[in-house]
Amino acid sequence: MGTFISQLINGLNQSSILLIATMGLVIIFGYMNVTNMAHGSMIMLGGVSAFILMEVLHLPFGIALIGCFIITGIIGMITEKLLIKRLYSKPTETILATYALSIILTELVRIKYPLSQNVHMPLPGAFHIGRVTIPYYNIFILVFSFAVLSLTLLFFRKTTFGKMLGSVTQNRTMTECLGIKTSTIDTLTFGYGAGLAGVSGCVLAPTTGVSYDMGSTYLTDTFMTNVVGGIQSFAGTAISSGIIGEGRTITAGFLNETWAKIIIFMIVIVLIRFRPEGLFTKERR
Amino acid sequence: MKNGTFKKITAAFAAVSVMLAATSCGGGASSSSSDGDVIKVGVLFSESGSTALVEKTMTNACKMAFDEINEAGGIKGKKIKYIHEDYASDPATATEKIKKLVEQDEVVATVGCYTSASRQATLSTLKDDNALLIYPTYTEGEEVSPNVIYVGNMPNQQATDFIPWILKNVGKKVFLIGSDYVFPKTCNKQARALIEMYGGEVVGEEYAPLGHTDFSTIVNKIKDSGAEVVYSALIGDSNTSFYKDYQQYGMTADTPICSISIDESNLQAIGKEFAEGHYASMPYWSSLDTEASKNFVSKYNSLFNDGTVVTVLTEATYDSCYLLKAALEKVEDPTDTTALINAFGGITFDAPQGEIKVDENNHCTWVYSRFGQIHDGAVDILYTTDKALRPEPWPSVLYPEYADSNFMPSWDDPLCYPQ
Repeated sequence: MGTFISQLINGLNQSSILLIATMGLVIIFGYMNVTNMAHGSMIMLGGVSAFILMEVLHLPFGIALIGCFIITGIIGMITEKLLIKRLYSKPTETILATYALSIILTELVRIKYPLSQNVHMPLPGAFHIGRVTIPYYNIFILVFSFAVLSLTLLFFRKTTFGKMLGSVTQNRTMTECLGIKTSTIDTLTFGYGAGLAGVSGCVLAPTTGVSYDMGSTYLTDTFMTNVVGGIQSFAGTAISSGIIGEGRTITAGFLNETWAKIIIFMIVIVLIRFRPEGLFTKERR
Repeated sequence: MKNGTFKKITAAFAAVSVMLAATSCGGGASSSSSDGDVIKVGVLFSESGSTALVEKTMTNACKMAFDEINEAGGIKGKKIKYIHEDYASDPATATEKIKKLVEQDEVVATVGCYTSASRQATLSTLKDDNALLIYPTYTEGEEVSPNVIYVGNMPNQQATDFIPWILKNVGKKVFLIGSDYVFPKTCNKQARALIEMYGGEVVGEEYAPLGHTDFSTIVNKIKDSGAEVVYSALIGDSNTSFYKDYQQYGMTADTPICSISIDESNLQAIGKEFAEGHYASMPYWSSLDTEASKNFVSKYNSLFNDGTVVTVLTEATYDSCYLLKAALEKVEDPTDTTALINAFGGITFDAPQGEIKVDENNHCTWVYSRFGQIHDGAVDILYTTDKALRPEPWPSVLYPEYADSNFMPSWDDPLCYPQ
């Protein structure tokens, strides 16, 4: 029972990491329908930006978070303008192009930072309840990822921009006829998705360190979380992060890490077989 | 996702892999057949892919050593010409590249390979063509190919002195962890035998997948086990997360991590405050305070300003080149591979770590055993053997039947070089 409770709490941490890492993908993959193989590299760019802002320029963590969002957001917008824009509704080409982009970004970073780098822990320490230890930083990640989720939901549901985005995904031609500049919306949306990936890289950096290949770890996990949750659903992604994160951690507590991965992947395969649209989908596409 | 999209995705992946294979085929030095005044040597390390970072420092070490040898007049008046091939961190490509080096470039020997998987991928070519590989990485043992000289240490050279010291000075309840593949598992098998032999107790054993980054579960298991010390064979960037999570989840260096698989390149990433007070064992540390070591480190740093740091691998690769030089000097005809391999037995080199020697019988190398405590981002060496230790590819604690036979099964025993 003790193991179960402490693993349940640890699982929250892994779930919130999955959630924040996947949120950018909900926008880019879910809303914009771009199979972005460079999502992991965007997370990595966020991590590298965090390293530069916090360890080279010695800025506080809060500013680094915003900085990472802006930097990767701008890189995302440039990517959209130069590359993605030309490839909408060409899924195969998009996969190739974004995969190539991820290699280019990874290798560029490797030239500058061949060794993995340390980003200091902004919130050291932990509090203890009985035999359960909860690092302060884990609580921060949990709160922060839910805050980002709520802000994103508000942004998409309540603002004019969000409503325009919604209409673009539903009916592009009609939206254009109404005089809305869809290409600008696309650029901004892609930038926002990339920015979210950057923020997650920044949040991950203090716990895992920053290396040029850190993105590849998250690429599979984020796509899996996204597909299980329903690719257009933020709430679904939050819940599937919870299921996958908790499932993996609790299984690991009783078996081991390798078996946890195997079992979770098997469950996901079965799930996708019976609910190919994900657990939570608004409409069939 | 629709069915058609899936097909397209699969097709795209196939295309990507074909492209990757195609790009990795190109490049590399093309060479004309033998000209009389040079000796051609292969260098087989990755410039791209997941282990490129580590292998970069090994390529650098080869450049440094061969340039030094050439400046000093080469081997019997002949210069060494080294041909570098990149196997892109991929074992299958390693097979292809060793073939190219041996059959097309006709090198006399190759210094190369980092992972055990890449080394094993070269073995059948080495055997078929009777070629020679000098392998500088520390390795798990339990394999000795007649066509390989193993310059990196065997697990016994890290563990036989380290483990009794840990049990005496740190604690008797040991928790074993490692990455989930052959090297950590083989090393930990030997560690367990040594721990039990010296009266310690193994209170747990856990493995994490390669590249794992969330160690909360494993740290909790360590805590629950009542371990007094953690013996780690985790490799690569997983170490960063592990050392950080270790402290974040309430463990301190009072229950230290004793690692046989971290070096200077990991320490920077882990961060000073998280690595402080833990222990590590390797034949060589760049903090080694001898004239030879200091010269080696400062020369490396002045030659290569590419973000790499000197580690045990740099040193072992450098040693590999000099051992090859000594062997080449002993033979009449450098292209006679059998003679060259035989020439290695008993060869010594005054390396940055101290004098090392290739064993007369088992193709492995006598190296030092050193361990120390991590302080302020560097390793303070606490213990050094006064001379190089004997390599045991089949450790006598696990294979008593080989204890009196120079730790070697007979060459025709399939155990010798499993393929």
